[in-house]
Amino acid sequence: MAPNLGYVIAAYLVTAIALGGYTLRLFARARSAKRRARRIAGRRRGGV
Amino acid sequence: MAATAERALGRATSRGGERTLGISALLALGVSAVLSLVVAPPDAVQGEVQRIMYVHVPAAWLAYLSFFVVFVASIAYLRTKKTRWDRVAAASAEIGVLFTALAIVLGMLWGKPVWGTWWTWDPRLTTTAVLLLIYVSYLAIRRITDNPSRRARWAAVVGIVGFIDVPIVHLSVVWWRSLHQGSTVFRLGGPEIEGTMLLALLVGVAAFTVTYAYLMTLRLRVGRLEERAAREALSPLIGAER
Repeated sequence: MAPNLGYVIAAYLVTAIALGGYTLRLFARARSAKRRARRIAGRRRGGV
Repeated sequence: MAATAERALGRATSRGGERTLGISALLALGVSAVLSLVVAPPDAVQGEVQRIMYVHVPAAWLAYLSFFVVFVASIAYLRTKKTRWDRVAAASAEIGVLFTALAIVLGMLWGKPVWGTWWTWDPRLTTTAVLLLIYVSYLAIRRITDNPSRRARWAAVVGIVGFIDVPIVHLSVVWWRSLHQGSTVFRLGGPEIEGTMLLALLVGVAAFTVTYAYLMTLRLRVGRLEERAAREALSPLIGAER
């Protein structure tokens, strides 16, 4: 194994985790905001 | 010009545009990874570890681009008072913080084997750390007040003033004696880098730029949905006040 290859692997892994993780987090935030808005609207229609 | 930008933003933020950007970003990142890890040769002095440059430099450039967008959108907000500009600034600041933190971590991973240390108070590293603090504060300021127009106004001022640090970060290696290497691509006399390496670097910057565009469309959608949820929650209260 070439010297310092571990740093290269770590760098590309960190990049993938940061970009992928943030994308997934945005999807989760979008889903939860949509659910929250729908729940509040539904509760209002139900007269609660 | 603002109208053209708004139309382009509208097209990109449609669900179809978002999906196209997502697939393009994934493909571009794949091509960039192959070019930088397989095609580009190892550096004559640093060897394999220099391959970190192909992710470190694009991350730093995208941090600059993100904060430039915050700067422009903040000016546009203060001039027009349109909420969409505040939403663009907030989205770009969040993504800029991600890219700045990524650039710092990647720099540390490159610095340890080359400089022998994870961190040093070098002008480039210090000004970049300040840049990160400025935009983390920008995001914190957005949470101080619930009043949307006051929040947008305060944030816009920080977004404009904070941008001063971007040219300081970039020129720090010219102004002060620095351990960090100087400019390799944009320098007098042309780029000082081998052809394949330059290609891999430019493709990396392009791939990160497409990724930024995709993350922006996604983050703008989240912003719109969160505002709608907040409006839904507040609307009975507003009705009661009337």
